[in-house]
Amino acid sequence: MKLEEIRHKIDKIDRELLVLLQERMGLALRSKKFKKTVTDPTREEEVLSRIERLNLDLIERSFTRRLIRTIIEESKRLQEENRPLVAFQGEHGAYGEVAARRLIPSGAYIPCLEFIDVFRGVEEHQFDLGVVPVENSLEGAVTQVNDLLTTTDLQVIGEAKVTVKHCLLGTEDIDHREIRLVYSHPQALAQCRGFLMRNKLEARPYYDTAGAAKMLARENPRAAAAIASELCAELYDLEIIKAGIEDGPANNTRFLLLSREPSADRGEKSSIIFATPHEAGRLFAVLKLFAEANINLTRIASMPLRSDPENYCFFLDFEGSEQDEKVVDVLRQMEKLTISMKRLGSYPAASGVF
Amino acid sequence: MSSLKLAAITKTRRTVVQVGEVKIGRDLAVIAGPCSVESEAQTIETARAVKSAGADMLRGGAFKPRTSPYSFQGLGIGGLRILEKAKRETGLPIVTEVLDPRDVSWVAEFADILQIGTRNMQNFSLLKEVGRSGRPVLLKRGMYSTLDEWLNCAEYILSEGNPDVILCERGIRTFETYTRNTLDLSAVPAIRELTHLPIVIDPTHSTGRPSLIEPMSLAAVAAGADGIIVEVHWRPEEALCDADQAMTPAGFTGMMNRLRPLRTFMEKLPA
Repeated sequence: MKLEEIRHKIDKIDRELLVLLQERMGLALRSKKFKKTVTDPTREEEVLSRIERLNLDLIERSFTRRLIRTIIEESKRLQEENRPLVAFQGEHGAYGEVAARRLIPSGAYIPCLEFIDVFRGVEEHQFDLGVVPVENSLEGAVTQVNDLLTTTDLQVIGEAKVTVKHCLLGTEDIDHREIRLVYSHPQALAQCRGFLMRNKLEARPYYDTAGAAKMLARENPRAAAAIASELCAELYDLEIIKAGIEDGPANNTRFLLLSREPSADRGEKSSIIFATPHEAGRLFAVLKLFAEANINLTRIASMPLRSDPENYCFFLDFEGSEQDEKVVDVLRQMEKLTISMKRLGSYPAASGVF
Repeated sequence: MSSLKLAAITKTRRTVVQVGEVKIGRDLAVIAGPCSVESEAQTIETARAVKSAGADMLRGGAFKPRTSPYSFQGLGIGGLRILEKAKRETGLPIVTEVLDPRDVSWVAEFADILQIGTRNMQNFSLLKEVGRSGRPVLLKRGMYSTLDEWLNCAEYILSEGNPDVILCERGIRTFETYTRNTLDLSAVPAIRELTHLPIVIDPTHSTGRPSLIEPMSLAAVAAGADGIIVEVHWRPEEALCDADQAMTPAGFTGMMNRLRPLRTFMEKLPA
């Protein structure tokens, strides 16, 4: 190996160490939800003595103890900070994390494998807040999330619109002429098909956009690049070869902020889900209430009921707070026209698209 | 000239290449900017300066063909990203050179016009590639080339299905050494007799002397050129490439104050 190659490998290992440390800190923050106090001397001793049993010739035991001790101290400091734990679906750098950072700038962002993990995690007090995508301007409703909204007891306390700006990312030393393979989520690959074709690049599906960026940074496979967010470039130290490579006009995704408690804010926007009996004019009667009260609807979507596929439920977002007199009045009248109605809450409207 | 099937003059039309709001072949198109993209500040400041002086497009090299392999070779894709940012800031479309057939699709992702430099005029595989790029091409005249050779190179691009070719006279090699090259101004009316393609002139590389840029630009407009492409650097003395031939933003502004009125005047002359 040449000196340059050795140094390159060392840099890669350093990056991997940090990515792993980030993951460890996230887990430590989550552990706090199960503990009464941050400090637990028995557990600390257990961690230290277990790691010392690893017999590595280049790593002195005293060094191991010092290193792990430093990590534990930092992790305790982080736990004392009391940052709200905000769960999102995907790996670090996913568009969900972009939304979470906008909504809660001082949070600790915890990745979850599935949407249901976000919902359950908040419901079971493992996380303080959750961020989930509800609709995309090109693809429409995110059905899994809408389905979970019908069964959850969580409240919506905020929303954010995030521009999905796909970037071609490479490791810093890649020559664009060598790129042959591009890893990303199938949806992102589909949205960038023109770019891939023009540059004769082969699309390689991966489970997640941010996951593809993380894999690229850690494994650096030959002749490969990834499509992911700008945030991923920052988090995984990747180079943005080209930003905004999607074919169509930039699309955006609307995310909801979920909490166990309703918004402290009065809110200027509200969301409800309802179902009407299968009778002529019932849906119209409901919508008429909003029209007559002069309440602007910002979203209306229908979805088959999981429990009863013959019937539909309707998602309605409208301008105004559940505390507004005319809204109180409309919702009271709605109770009589629907077979079920669920209030998701009132919240501040998103200001612009990020 | 018999081998020209697509580039030869016709009675019915002249080619107009539209880029953004500029119609090259109808309007007087002024393309200005640094020789090379050196840094974000240098490129964006120069872009702002030429925009406020009335330029229509921004030029700037990211891949540089240099006489010596040890000279600054350009910032590559990083340079293209800076040009993209300058375009976002000023709205000026981007003209930039492509040297290598492998880079054509990549440069086309960033550039509004692909430039083929004088040294690559007869690089036929590169010409075919830009012919398939879907972007207008600014084809510079080879410094040792005849008009016929030059137009046959345009024919290569046209025959690949790309109708948007802009010719650029940038000076030819003669025995004169006072100027870097000799601007062949007669090429302007000659080209207009031979082909329907628009022609612009490059007063920077042809003269190599800032003091000659303005007079030759005015002369080109008087001769009927469709535009000019000129090097402007915010601090010419610090330029990493061709430092001794770039105009200052002030010099460029002064020239622009006379160039467009001259064009208007020429259009008003009796036929």
